[in-house]
This record gives sequence, structure tokens and C-alpha cells, in this order.
Amino acid sequence: MQHSDYLQHLAQQQWLIPLFPLVAAAIQSLLKRPARKLSATLTIGAMGLSCVFALRAFFATIGGPGGEHHEVERAIFDFTWFKFGNTSLDMGFILDPLTAGMAAMVAFVGFWIFVNATGYMAEDDNFTRFFCFMSLFAASMLGLVISNNLLTFFMCWELVGLCSYLLIGFWYFKPSAAAAMKKAFITTRIGDIGFFLGILMLYWKTGTLNLYTHDPFHPGALEQAGNLATLAGWWSLSAAGTIALLLFFGAMGKSAQFPLHVWLPDAMEGPTPVSALIHAATMVAAGVFMVGRMFPLFTAGAPPGGSTPVLNFVMWVGCITAVFSATIAVAQFDIKRVLAYSTCSQLGFMVMALGAGSLVAGQFHLLTHAFFKALLFLGSGCVIVGTHHEQDMRKMGGLKKYMPITFWCYLVGMLALSGVPPFAGFFSKDEVLLETFHRSKAAWGLATFAAFLTAFYMTRQMFMVFAGKWRGGGGHHGHGHHGGEPHEVPWNMWLPIAVLSVFAIGLGFFAHSYGRYLGAEGGEAAEGKALVMGSSIAVGALGILLGWVIYGRKTMVHATDKDPLAAMPAGLFTLLNRKWYIDELYDVTIIRFTAACGVFFRLFDKLVVDGVLHAIAWATWGISQVVRWVGDEFFINGGFDTGCESLRLGGRTLAKLQSGRVQNYFRVLSLGAAILLLIYFFT
Amino acid sequence: MSIPLSHYLMLSAFLFAIGLCGALSRKNAIIVLMGIEIMFNAGILNFIAFWHYKYFAALTAQMFAIFAISIAAAESAIGLALVIAVYRHYKSVDVDEMKSLKG
Amino acid sequence: METIFWILSAITVIGAILSITLRNLVHCVLSLILFFLGIAGHYFLLRADFLGAVQILIYIGAVAVLILFAIMLTRHVTGDEGPREVLGGKWWAGMGTAVIIAGLLWAIIRKDQLTQVMPPGAASMPDGKLVAELGRALVTDWVVPFEAMAVLLTAALIGAVVIALEEVIRKR
Repeated sequence: MQHSDYLQHLAQQQWLIPLFPLVAAAIQSLLKRPARKLSATLTIGAMGLSCVFALRAFFATIGGPGGEHHEVERAIFDFTWFKFGNTSLDMGFILDPLTAGMAAMVAFVGFWIFVNATGYMAEDDNFTRFFCFMSLFAASMLGLVISNNLLTFFMCWELVGLCSYLLIGFWYFKPSAAAAMKKAFITTRIGDIGFFLGILMLYWKTGTLNLYTHDPFHPGALEQAGNLATLAGWWSLSAAGTIALLLFFGAMGKSAQFPLHVWLPDAMEGPTPVSALIHAATMVAAGVFMVGRMFPLFTAGAPPGGSTPVLNFVMWVGCITAVFSATIAVAQFDIKRVLAYSTCSQLGFMVMALGAGSLVAGQFHLLTHAFFKALLFLGSGCVIVGTHHEQDMRKMGGLKKYMPITFWCYLVGMLALSGVPPFAGFFSKDEVLLETFHRSKAAWGLATFAAFLTAFYMTRQMFMVFAGKWRGGGGHHGHGHHGGEPHEVPWNMWLPIAVLSVFAIGLGFFAHSYGRYLGAEGGEAAEGKALVMGSSIAVGALGILLGWVIYGRKTMVHATDKDPLAAMPAGLFTLLNRKWYIDELYDVTIIRFTAACGVFFRLFDKLVVDGVLHAIAWATWGISQVVRWVGDEFFINGGFDTGCESLRLGGRTLAKLQSGRVQNYFRVLSLGAAILLLIYFFT
Repeated sequence: MSIPLSHYLMLSAFLFAIGLCGALSRKNAIIVLMGIEIMFNAGILNFIAFWHYKYFAALTAQMFAIFAISIAAAESAIGLALVIAVYRHYKSVDVDEMKSLKG
Repeated sequence: METIFWILSAITVIGAILSITLRNLVHCVLSLILFFLGIAGHYFLLRADFLGAVQILIYIGAVAVLILFAIMLTRHVTGDEGPREVLGGKWWAGMGTAVIIAGLLWAIIRKDQLTQVMPPGAASMPDGKLVAELGRALVTDWVVPFEAMAVLLTAALIGAVVIALEEVIRKR
């Protein structure tokens, strides 16, 4: 069989990859709560199967006759979903290096996360519900990765959002979790509006939602990218640029880019395997992957080696996010929160690389990051289980003695994240920095600073958690049956992190081959390479050294000890610890905004809605109602005063529209119908 | 037989308004539902009138009417079940008293 | 024919008006049945025989009986309501809206010159095979909506039972 035929054959079977977890989720939704064994077996078995299929597709794309020419082989399989009139909605699967690598990563990392989760969730009552959601999460992410059509892409995208909502709020009885789930959903929805508008505009301009069709008469949306670059869009951008910008808003929400990053740290409220899945393989990866998938639109119209306004915007958003979240991570005490902000920061690196015009660097960092971030999160999950559900790093310490396996694996993850040479993070981050260096020296400088901070806060975390003496135990009045000394976790929890740490070590050496695999230009950009690599190593070492100087020489003794950094001038530490007060800023602005809306709608209700009703009363009842009208006039004024007063009550005023009376709604409804009839009559 | 189409349409408009009036102004929930039934019937009468006068050969209008009647039946079943549930809870079927959804 | 139309129209309108104005709920339902009968008569007049039968079966046979049952189950409101309690709050607004909508519909019907449309000639009258055609169409071209309707009715049935039973279950 010809290789291309083989790929075509595999592309037709791409749907099998998300199918297994989807079926597993469907079955588990019917399982009873005590069916733990069955549930775990189903989830892991299904994920293993889809992992096999994803890896088969991955190796098939590697084994192509690539060689000298870097032509990307892309097999697609489209079919019509349904037709109405002359338009038809298509669905389709794609198999190209980008998809294959991503699907293999998601399935593989997801598999090990699931294995770890069986340990982490071992004592939870809602074990089956958890694995049902997790399977659905993995299935929707895999569906997103393989789809060759923006409609299915968007559907899976929203499913991913829904699953993260369900899982972040898995312990919904905790108010903080309930708040976090809403925050995650709503924040990402804000970005999704942009994404949806982008899809609509793409359909409007190209008439298709298929990404690739390989049909010269009906080219797919991405195959028309060059054409789109010549059309005019909005705000003096080309059509391709406008669409790319709108799509990027979606990615900003999903991939937690500044200023829509606020949901990601709060997503810590979910169980730790969920955080691992969200931060490594699924949710946040979706945004970066989407930019990678739609990359022809982003680069369309750029001169050779040059940039476009949208790409510059993307790069700077990524750069700001990278530095901004790295500074916050320095001052956090929650073990998962540090990791959450580091994810934000690393996502910034990926987006920055994409903005610098390098698909390879962005995607490769996404892949390596997925491995070592999953490793770190699962490791922190092990720490949390080992210390009897303690998350405050100040109450940890000395865990190296108690949890040696976790320690060594965590160390690997930490070194990889900090960008220490032989580990995976070094190579991918180096590539990112190099690409940024070629595009903008300022962005490169900032990113290098972020890399320094990364090394610093990870060292801080290592010393706080694993070095020194065990500082916990004292404060465990509440739960007596827990407490006591920390212990090593069972094998089903440490095995995944051990496997992932192998990849966190080894994956970096494939940086070059991954570039060729994705079809990048072969030319080695040697210019500045030595400088970038040198400075990258230097800041990494410097960060670790500084971390050792501050936290390593003299470890914390008591949980109440002040952080040495708190001595920083002018409340800087508090500012960082409070995350630059971004949440507070949003609270203030949103409260103000809602209050303004509240007043507006109340006035609208009183003046317009009631006013129209009253006008009708006039028509039917004539002048005898004048007195009543005056009375209502008084009432309107009264309502106005109440409205002003309720400025501080915020959104509660908005709820006043909901009178709860069914006939009130019905009246307004029929009034709307009357207005429509009126419009029909006069046009 | 020289009744123009507009006779039927006006009849149906009139019936619709009567149903709407009942649904909007009576406070007994059952009568509100009855008003809605009247509105449904007025709408369906329109379908049949148009079918008779304009598209005699096509079956679409009849189909729509059949489906609309089925939906109306489902609606009234659910609506009356709700009325009974509400009555059990509030000991009243007064729509003015059903306001626990108030914001 | 014209006479029948006017008689039927009078029956329908009077039935409709009575069913929303009478105080006694059982009387309301009885006049609603009158209204349904009038509508069914209109269907027969318009040669939609099958629909007329459906109207009688479903509306009079099922819906009206259902409403009667609902009235009996909420028994103590069966008797006469006091004059002030019949109408809900802001009832004048509802009536006003209804009048406006009626007027607008009237105006639109006149404006669109639907008064000119006369019934088709006897040549194009259906030949009595309409019901057979309807049945065939329901299971061929219209089979998907038909099935969807079946699902909807089943769901509504179950939903109605669940809603009405809820309180009983909770007591156990």
C-alpha cells in the first residue's frame, strides 16, 4: 500500500480516537456509585485504546518519505453531516503531523493522569461521576484535535469548556469551587464570543468551514488564507488578520492569556488530576493548539521572514502574560497555585512563540510543557495526598525524607520547567526565546526575565516543600483521623509521574526532528543562537542560585515564619501575593458596571415597559386614568430614587426585572408581538 | 360559496385576541391555559384556511396542523400537571400568587 | 355555505368569549367544548375532514376532559369566584394588548388584500383520498418529525406524571 493511501486510511479512522473515551463516559454516566473498579477499568482501558490508535497515527506520519523535501503530508476525510437546501454542513477528520503529535500527547498524558487519578480520588464518594467527566473531557479534547472543520472544532471546544466547568466544580459543595467553576466558564465564554465571531466571519468570507479540502474548486478555509489576506477586513487589517484576531480572542480565554487569565489559578479548586488535565493536556492546550491549527490565517499576508500586526499583538500578549504571571507565582504559598501561575507563564511563552511566527517552537513547547506540567501537577497531587490534604507550602517541608520517589520525579519536572540544559523544557524554551529574539529584542529580554523568575520560584517551591524539617502536623486539630507524618503514595500514583519524568528528561532531544516533522524551513537560524542559549542557561542557573541563597541556605523552621521575600520594599510582596489585585480590579469594575446596568434597566422597566403598558391603558380607558398615571409618575420617581440607592447593591437591582409573575412575562411577550406586527404593518 | 379568505383570517385573529385576553387578564391558572388553547386553535385555523384557499394540493399545512395539535396536547398535559403541582404547594391556582421566582 | 360559515363563526366566537368570561370553571370548560366544536365544524367546511376528526378526538376527547380533571383535582376553586377575584392584576393592560393585536391583525389582513382571495373552483377539490395520502406522507416524507413528535409526546406524558406525582414521592 502506498504511504499516502495508508495515511488516508488512517484519517478515516481518526474518529476512533475520541470514540473510546466518549463511550466510556456514556457507560459511566449510567453506573452506580459503588461501581468503582468497573469505572476505573473502563476509563483507563478506553484511554489506553485511544492512546494506541493515536500513537499508530503518530508513527504513521513520522514514517513518511519526508527526507529532503519538507512537504507536510496531510490526509483528510470529509463527509456531509446534513443538508438543508443547497448548503450542507460537513464534518471531517484530519491527519497531519500537527494533529498526530497533539493527539498522541493528549492520549498518552491523559492516560497517565487517569492512572494517577484512581489513587487521588480513591476515597471520594463520587468516583464514577469523576471518571465520567474525565473521560468526556479527554474525548472532547481529542475530538477537537482531530477535527478538520471549524464547526466540529467549536463544538468540541465548548465541550471542553463544559467539562472543565463540571470538573473544576466537582466539589461543588465548597463555595470557592462553585465560584471558581462559574468564573472559569464565564471568563472563557468572553473569549469564545470572539472565537465565534471569527468563525462566522470566516464562513462569510470563504463560504466554508472546512479547514482543508484538497479540492481546487472548493478550497478549504485555510487554503484560502492567501486570498483572504488581500481582502480588506476591519480596523485597517486584512480579512485574514481580522479573522485571526477574533479567533485569537478565543484562544486568550481558553489558554488563559492576560487579561483573561483570572480563571486559571482559581481552577485549582478542582481535584488535582483535573488540574493536571486542564493545565497540561486539554483545556489550556486547546487555545494554543487552535492558534497552531489556524496558523496559515495568522501568517497570511506576512512578507517572507516578516510579521503581521496580528502576529505582533499575539506575541506581545504572550510576552506580557509570561512575565506577569511569573511575578505572581513568586509570592504564592499554595503549592498548586504556584504551578497554576507557572502554567499561565508557560502558555505565555507558547503564544509568544506563535506570535513570533514560529509554529514549531510554540507547538513543541506545548508538547514538552504538557509532559512536565502534568508531572508537576500529579507530583503536587502526590504531595497533597502524602501530607493528608495539605496545600500550604509553609506547612510542608522535609518531604524528601518521607516521599523519595515523588521528590525525584518532582525534581525532574522542576528542572525541566526551569530550563536546565538536558531536560525537555530547556530545548523548547530555548527555541521559543530564539524565535522571539529574531522578532523583537524587547520581548526576548522580558521573556528571559520570566525564565529567570521561573527558575527562581520553582527553586523556592522545591526548598519549601521538600527541604528542611516537616512543619505540618501541628495545626491538625480538625481532622484527627488524618494528620500524622507524611507518607509515600501508592504505586498507582507514583508510577505515572515516574513515566512522565522519563519524557520530561528525554523529549528535548527531539526538538530538531520535531521541527522537520512539522515541515519547518530547514535553515538553521544560527544568528544569536549562542547568545540566546547562553543567556537562557545563565538566567536559569541564576534563578536557581538565588532561590538557594534565599530559601535553601536557611530553610523555614515554623509554618508561621515570614517569607524572606516579604522584606522586599514597598509592599511589593503583598502586591504579588494578591496577584497584582487583578481580581479586585475586576470586582470593582464589574460591580460598578452591573450597578450602572441595574439602574439603567430599572429605569427602562419603569419608564418604557410600564410606560407602554400605561399608554395602552390610556388608549382603552381614556382620561379617567390620568389620576392613576400621576400616581405612577410618583412611583416612577420613587423607583428612580431606589435605583440610585441600589447603585451599591449592584446586580441585585437587575433581578428586579424578574417579577416572578407569569402573566407579567406574557404581557411583555405579547407587547413584543404587537410591536413586530406594527413593524410589519408599516414596512 | 363566496367567502373570501380574509373572513377566516379575521375570525382567527379575533379568536386569537379573545384567547390572549383570557390568558392575560384572568387570574385562575386553568383559565389562562384555556386561553392559550384558544390561541393555538386560532393559529391552526389559519393553517387550514390558507391550505384550503391557496395550496390545496400540498399536504404541508395539514401536517403542520397535526403537529401543532400534538404539541398543544403535550403542552396542556404538562401545563395542567404543573397547575396541580402548584395547587398542592400553594393551595391555590391564582397566577398572581405564583411569584416565588421573583428576583 | 355562507350561512353555515356565519353560524359556525358565531358558535366559535361565543364559545371562546364565554369560556374566558364565565365565573364557574366547569361552565368555562363546557363553553370551551362549544368553541372546539365550532372549530371542528370550520375544518369540515374547509374540507379538512381528517383534521376535524382529530380536533374532536383530541381537543374535546382529551384536552377538555383533562382540564375538567384538573378542575376537579383543584376542587375548592370550582365554585363561583367573587366578582373582584376573577381578574388578575393589570388585567386592563392585558386586554389593551389583546385589542391592539386584534386591530393590527385586522389592518394587516386588509392591507395585504387577502379579501380578494376566493376559494378555488370545484375542479381542484380533493377526491376523498386525502386521509390515505396524509397517512402515507406521515411515514415517508414526514417520518422524522413524526418520530420526534412521538418522542415529545412520550416525554410530555412522563413529565406530566412526574410533576403531578412529585409531592407524593417526597412524602414517602
